[in-house]
Amino acid sequence: MKKQQSGSSLQTKSLSISFGGHTAVNAVSCQFHPNELTVIVGPNGAGKTTFFNLISGQLKPTHGQVILNNHDVSQMPPATRARLGIGRAFQLTNLFPRLSVLENIRLVVQAHSGDGWRFFTRITALPELEAKAEHFLHLVGLSSVAHMLANELSHGNQRKLEVAMLMAMEPDIYMFDEPTAGMSLDEAPSLLELIANLKNDSSKTVLLVEHKMSVVRALADRIIVLHNGEVLEDGTPDRIMTSKLVKDVYLGNAGGLA
Amino acid sequence: MFNQKKLSLAWGNPPSRDRNQNLAYTLRITVGLVWAILLLAPFLFHDVRALEVAARICIFIVLVASYDLLIGITGIVSFAHTLFFACGAYGAAIGLKLYGGSWSAYSLGSLAGMLLAVTIAAVIGLLSLRVKAIFFAMITLAVASLALVMVSQFSAYTGGEDGLTYKTPALFKTATKLLENENGSTVKVFGTKLNGKLAAYYFLSFSCLLIFALTVRLVATPLGSVLKAIRENDTRAEAIGYRVVRYRSLIFCLSAASAAVAGSIYAVWLKYTGPETVLSFTIMIDILLMVVIGGMGTIWGSVPGVLLLVLAQYYLRDLMEIAAEKTTGIPLLPELLSPERWLLWLGIGFILVVYFFPKGLAGAMLASGEKR
Ligand SMILES: Nc1ncnc2c1ncn2[C@@H]1O[C@H](COP(=O)(O)OP(=O)(O)O)[C@@H](O)[C@H]1O
Ligand SMILES: [Mg+2]
Repeated sequence: MKKQQSGSSLQTKSLSISFGGHTAVNAVSCQFHPNELTVIVGPNGAGKTTFFNLISGQLKPTHGQVILNNHDVSQMPPATRARLGIGRAFQLTNLFPRLSVLENIRLVVQAHSGDGWRFFTRITALPELEAKAEHFLHLVGLSSVAHMLANELSHGNQRKLEVAMLMAMEPDIYMFDEPTAGMSLDEAPSLLELIANLKNDSSKTVLLVEHKMSVVRALADRIIVLHNGEVLEDGTPDRIMTSKLVKDVYLGNAGGLA
Repeated sequence: MFNQKKLSLAWGNPPSRDRNQNLAYTLRITVGLVWAILLLAPFLFHDVRALEVAARICIFIVLVASYDLLIGITGIVSFAHTLFFACGAYGAAIGLKLYGGSWSAYSLGSLAGMLLAVTIAAVIGLLSLRVKAIFFAMITLAVASLALVMVSQFSAYTGGEDGLTYKTPALFKTATKLLENENGSTVKVFGTKLNGKLAAYYFLSFSCLLIFALTVRLVATPLGSVLKAIRENDTRAEAIGYRVVRYRSLIFCLSAASAAVAGSIYAVWLKYTGPETVLSFTIMIDILLMVVIGGMGTIWGSVPGVLLLVLAQYYLRDLMEIAAEKTTGIPLLPELLSPERWLLWLGIGFILVVYFFPKGLAGAMLASGEKR
């Protein structure tokens, strides 16, 4: 058991959502702790992204709750949850396409610093915003393209920007949804390392959806296997890799946890 | 920061960014020159019509800039802009009509009109900015149509179709002498009488310049950045912590207030307020055309957009009349250039501008200026 320091505690209580007749997330109850990196795995359509959407507020649950530090946040809009420290990145790149890379990040920085309502001070008169934005761009290696438009970036660089935007939120809870999907093999490891370092630096909670099992095993403190919207297994990497249940399900599932 | 960038430009970089920067400066200088001419208009042009045109250009720059704040910067499509314009104009008009031509009547009426505009905007905004953009546009259209009906229904106050005429504060009366010479007549400078008309013009043009400058400034602030982010991707803006509905409502109210102020200023200049001058859909369409010609999302584009369309509306006919006279004897040309066909040529001109400058005049000059 990990000792909880400052950080935030996040809990879901029988969290469920149905689209028409289809239940995409079904009674998921989990607790997430600071200093812990939890990897969520499961086949396509298992409900991983939907689970994230419920936690960060893009979707409201049909049943159940999302509890942050003992407060029910399930009915709050996404912006409020973001301010309370729940940050997420998106599986499908979700940027401000015709704004510069720098401005994409600066928007996150100024949301965090609470400068969004300033209507008279020129943005260029707030160099600390830009400096901080440049710091995060440097972190993911995008400094050289800071003045390009986001939609002019290569796919790999867009994924990096997506990750940098979440980092710039400096939340207590980080949620990464397949951050390295479609990235080249030599780019992915450094980005994953950056993500893994987050929980060491401070008392942060990290949730990560990732398919590459070799990586997952090395990074994860804990693995949750989702299947048809339900938690199939939840435990240490060693336990998951040897779980008979997981093996049974994935044996009948071409591709599976390879 | 800027110097570093200049240095890195010296070597190896393609010249395109340099060129973009120059174009952006050219645009700003051009806009500055237009404003200079507008401010000097009473001394440069001595006929009454020219001053009417200059005043209309000033007012429409404010209307178009505040509308661009909605449609171009934030991505909100509204057809209620003339409604807010009319709120300010009718507020001032009714105040002056009921309580005579005093400053207190004018300012109270204007204030009431502006508050009404902001209230309507806040109600429309909070009730319906959550819905899809197309529904929102429809709702604003419905409210604007309703306003047209209301103005003719409450003709006891609004003057109905005929509109209202009223006295202005004494300072703005044409007979008012700002400076008197020893004979007791108005002093002239460069052939222009320093009378109340001049005072009214400067009240109008300086107010409009101030609002335009504030609008340009707003886009360069953190708030302006959030508005662009909402235009680009509202779900992401919400996900990083911005309450999108609040920002949209705020900017809708702000733009409504700005249009209302323009209405109040125009009302005291024209000394007449009626549906034709401040509320009709023709004005709404003019605003839309001006935004498109100038370049959506640039704010600066409001100046070339308004200039081009207003000048065309007032002078294209005269120009064609001269051209038709000059070409008599040549077959076909005089018929084509006959002044009755001015709307045709205006339409053709509009299509050409949109075809060759799909981002508008300013948009073309700021092609990748957004990057900075
Ligand atoms: N907004 C939605 N409307 C209808 N069905 C949805 C919606 N979002 C997700 N789903 C369905 O929920 C299931 C889970 O999807 P998702 O969470 O994206 O899976 P994963 O991220 O694990 O691949 C899928 O069957 C998907 O079609
Ligand atoms: Mg997914």
